[in-house]
Amino acid sequence: MIRFSNVDVVYPGGFQGLKGVDLTIDKGEFVVIVGLSGAGKSTLIRTINGLVPYTSGELTVGDEVVDPTSKGKIRRLRSSVGMIFQSFNLVTRISVLNNVLVGRCSSTPAWRSLLGWYRAEDKELAFQSLERVGIVDKAYNRASALSGGQQQRVAIARVLAQDPEVILADEPVASLDPPTAHRVLQDLRRINRELGITTIVNLHHLEMARKYADRVIGMRGGEVVFDGPVEEATDAAIEEVYQRSLTAGDAAPESAAH
Amino acid sequence: MSTPAIEAPARPQKPRPAASAYAGLLAAAVGLILFFLWSSTSTLQLDIGVARLPLYPILGALGVFAVLALCWRARTGPLTALGALAVIGVTWWGGSGIGFTLAPLWEDFDRGWPIIQEFLDPSWGFIWRVWDQWVVTLAMAVVATGIGCSVGLLLAMLASPVSSPSKPVSQAVKAINSVIRSIPDIGYGLLFVAMLGGTAAGAGEMAGILALIMFNIGIIAKLTGETIDSVDKGPLEAADATGSTLLQRDRIAVLPQILPGYSSYSLYVFELNIRASVVLGIVGAGGIGSTISVQLSHFNYSNISAIMIALVIVVLIVDYVSLTIRRRIT
Repeated sequence: MIRFSNVDVVYPGGFQGLKGVDLTIDKGEFVVIVGLSGAGKSTLIRTINGLVPYTSGELTVGDEVVDPTSKGKIRRLRSSVGMIFQSFNLVTRISVLNNVLVGRCSSTPAWRSLLGWYRAEDKELAFQSLERVGIVDKAYNRASALSGGQQQRVAIARVLAQDPEVILADEPVASLDPPTAHRVLQDLRRINRELGITTIVNLHHLEMARKYADRVIGMRGGEVVFDGPVEEATDAAIEEVYQRSLTAGDAAPESAAH
Repeated sequence: MSTPAIEAPARPQKPRPAASAYAGLLAAAVGLILFFLWSSTSTLQLDIGVARLPLYPILGALGVFAVLALCWRARTGPLTALGALAVIGVTWWGGSGIGFTLAPLWEDFDRGWPIIQEFLDPSWGFIWRVWDQWVVTLAMAVVATGIGCSVGLLLAMLASPVSSPSKPVSQAVKAINSVIRSIPDIGYGLLFVAMLGGTAAGAGEMAGILALIMFNIGIIAKLTGETIDSVDKGPLEAADATGSTLLQRDRIAVLPQILPGYSSYSLYVFELNIRASVVLGIVGAGGIGSTISVQLSHFNYSNISAIMIALVIVVLIVDYVSLTIRRRIT
């Protein structure tokens, strides 16, 4: 369970990323966050694993309070919270398998990492993760030799290798074509169902959000302005989140679009 | 058939710089030429038939006016033109200050001719007679490259804010790297020869290797450090998000990205070491340079010529091999 109570994020430059966010996300939920660019979706997701430290309020993941000041605690938290990025963030010059093994870092001693000499059980876990996303045949290919969709699935396998309780996905399909995007979201959805991993996804595409989400959260200007089951996320409700028509190309935004 | 004209406002012309600004520049140019005339201590004269003019001030004046005319023609902004004038002025000032001239090249040609003749008649047999020194040179280069590049990589990792444990560490190591780099290879050579005793005391090779190591650390730490600064930060963020430690992140996300660049710099440093060991040998560190030093003191130019030719060939081979390897890895 993830609980935000009155969480604020103020960036060093003074920009307020989150304003008084109150939110509870239950175990096993598949939550999609929508909102315009700059609405605070990324900030919300990155607060959960401490990539962005929150400045006031309280955030708990599982039973532990997230403490951005303690490196050790944050590392322990991150070992059970996996993250997927828009640009995949694979090390392109090493093999797919070695990329997936990055997910085992937190439980691998430093000397093993330095020598690149991983335990057999870690490799086994990495192979299982690759099998789950269906690209185990590419295990010894260089990551750079894979297509975008395949690379994103390697990134999902990297997360699975962590054996996480939560998966955070920051715009996971924004740089993929629509069929590939659906394939990746189906993978995430299936993993969420099969393993019961809480999954929080940022999405730009409303139709995709409606197709895969259990619950939709709308953000504007760093605040949560909509929160409800997917059936309630009607066009009217989302237009309210965006503060503009869903179809108008040139409508001048009143606020929130920075 | 004619395409319909596009309705558009007239295209802008490149703006002409203000004439007043150029008048100011002209005044500055005249001032510069007066300064040339006043400060020139050279007695060299240029004979143009009707009169003899002081050579350096005339050259300076011609340069200044040519640059000004070019800038005006190209509609260069006054600030750029001022910069060009400054470059001419400083170059002239430096050149005349040391009395720069190419005249001795042909005026003293007769004195140099015997030396050139000896150079043109290299004693080929000498190359083989000093083969052991070549082996020493190569061995020095290999050892120094290995140690220097390893230490250099470590310092580069500590120096770059991307891979360093903290900002103070990064800045401190950067400062150390700058100091190491500021001393040239021959400076280290003189230092270690003085400390260890050089070729005469049988420690020439050791002094040479140490000098090369310091020289290599400076170069590798600088180049690799800049490569680390510019790696793709995405994989680093991903490694952070899995809960890896700094050491693991550097090994898994940084090292694979810099490896091609780093290997290429290491090979380049190896090439440099072959060349640098010649100069180091002359100040008393071992290797082929010490042979050159001995032959030079005997005025044995045909032997030196042979070594030079062999050196060019060795360097070309090393260049070629390392270029081939570098192409493969990048």
